[in-house]
Amino acid sequence: MSEKILLEAQNIHVNYGAIQALSGFSLKLMENEIVSVIGANGAGKSTFMNALMGMVKIAKGDIFLDGYPLSSQNYKVVRSGLSLVPEGRRIFAPLTVEENLKIGAFTRKDVSELKEDYDWVFSLFPRLQERLKQYAGTLSGGEQQMLAIARALMARPRVLLLDEPSLGLAPIVIREIFRELKRVNERGVSILLVEQNAKQALLLSHRAYVLQTGRLLKEGLSKDLLEDRDIKAAYLGQSA
Amino acid sequence: MAFTFSTLIQQIINGLSLGSVYALIAVGYSLVYSILLFSNFAHGGFLVVGGYACYFLLTQWGYGVAVSMTGALFASGLTAVITERLAYKPIRERTSITLYLLIASMGVNIIIENLFVVTVGGRIRALPQNTFPTGVFNLFGGVALSASDIISLVTAVIFLSLLQIFLNRTRWGLAIRAAACDIRTAGLMGVNVTFLISLVFFVAGVLAAVGGIFLSVRYSLYPQLGSITTKAFVAAVIGGLGSLPGAVVGSLILGLAEMLTAGFISSQMRDLVVYSLLVIMLLIRPAGFFGKTISEKI
Ligand SMILES: Nc1ncnc2c1ncn2[C@@H]1O[C@H](COP(=O)(O)OP(=O)(O)OP(=O)(O)O)[C@@H](O)[C@H]1O
Ligand SMILES: [Mg+2]
Repeated sequence: MSEKILLEAQNIHVNYGAIQALSGFSLKLMENEIVSVIGANGAGKSTFMNALMGMVKIAKGDIFLDGYPLSSQNYKVVRSGLSLVPEGRRIFAPLTVEENLKIGAFTRKDVSELKEDYDWVFSLFPRLQERLKQYAGTLSGGEQQMLAIARALMARPRVLLLDEPSLGLAPIVIREIFRELKRVNERGVSILLVEQNAKQALLLSHRAYVLQTGRLLKEGLSKDLLEDRDIKAAYLGQSA
Repeated sequence: MAFTFSTLIQQIINGLSLGSVYALIAVGYSLVYSILLFSNFAHGGFLVVGGYACYFLLTQWGYGVAVSMTGALFASGLTAVITERLAYKPIRERTSITLYLLIASMGVNIIIENLFVVTVGGRIRALPQNTFPTGVFNLFGGVALSASDIISLVTAVIFLSLLQIFLNRTRWGLAIRAAACDIRTAGLMGVNVTFLISLVFFVAGVLAAVGGIFLSVRYSLYPQLGSITTKAFVAAVIGGLGSLPGAVVGSLILGLAEMLTAGFISSQMRDLVVYSLLVIMLLIRPAGFFGKTISEKI
């Protein structure tokens, strides 16, 4: 991990009508780092991810990538190197696995290098290779999540954003996916992970932020938060 | 009317020829529906723009058939893009309720119609006789196959095949298919959704113009010609809203039903049969032949 700031969000405010979903949340992601954001239902985690991706309008606040302001237009954000695995996976069910991966590579100009990326995502998730011609809608939940991650990786992002990748999956599949995310990070991709499954997220990430009703509650090294009494009580399902 | 084998063949030829024109219109309409999930009633207006552009390029400005037709396709495609940008995009950005888009499209249709009434007048025109070859081939038993039937069938097949290749073999085609499934997530793939929607409208406009030109040749050209799009809507619903193969199948069924009714029952019964088919379809299979279930798409 380097000490260079890759992505920085400052004082982000997002409102949905009268509802304040984010009221001044800030976050930093270093190059090669894994950062997680944990928080309960409705804390504003998805809103934060969507704000980064240019999917919801920011009322106040700034986002920088490499120190330069990030575009607020969705497709430009993707082109500048952020790729989101959305909440609920949102794979394209009527398209084949292969077509899902192809559309993931939509922004790529270096078409000659795509073969490498296919090989890479297949090495992470071999099951996808066996099911290339299958319609994505017929995959199991775990396979759909793998596809959603592989699809995002086909864009060769600098930052991979994941919104609750463990949602609705069996523990064994969650462990498999998190193991592969570690490998993704080792290839030099920075990861921003949003999770309700705080334990898994803290075990994977280097640092973490705790979000509560749109505000920062706590931040620190993941290993310290794993031992934190309040966090244990509120998010890890253990009494302190 | 007596049933004869040659009448049957004749009406099948006529039905396929008419159905192919419906298909060109219905497919573009269905394509827009698949992305934005609303019935674009201005589609008929695009068709009228195509018809008039072709008419004026041929008769007033003296261009050849090829240039006039190409010009008409562009004129209609651009009208569709401009309509989307001016009338639909501002609504899309404010609300996700598609009913507003539908109402706006009715307004646009009336505007286009009346612009022609005001500028060129409401009188009925015809594309020059020599626009297309006019030969007629007499087959057995008095069955006539006209050159314009053949041309409209062949042209429809060519344009629909080109569309199919575009959607299945190109990068933007894949993006359109992805957007038809989930437009927000298509944006997450780095697709410029605003451009994609313009592209879809352009393609729909071009296909409508091809239909418009054939209609102007087969029947005549007047500002309300676009109302024939209702038939294409019906065809799209029978085939399954938002499904392109469905739009083609629905159109051919409709064309055949109309012509067989005209041949064996009476020409006045055509519309009665068409709309009865629609009602029956909605009762027994509301999603149409190829449609997704209604709860998913409406
Ligand atoms: N499109 C929307 N319109 C109105 N309110 C919204 C919208 N999206 C989210 N909200 C509200 O904003 C707040 C934050 O929602 P958000 O989805 O960001 O939470 P979250 O932390 O991702 O929750 P979860 O863990 O359940 O996914 C909630 O109160 C939610 O009801
Ligand atoms: Mg969420």
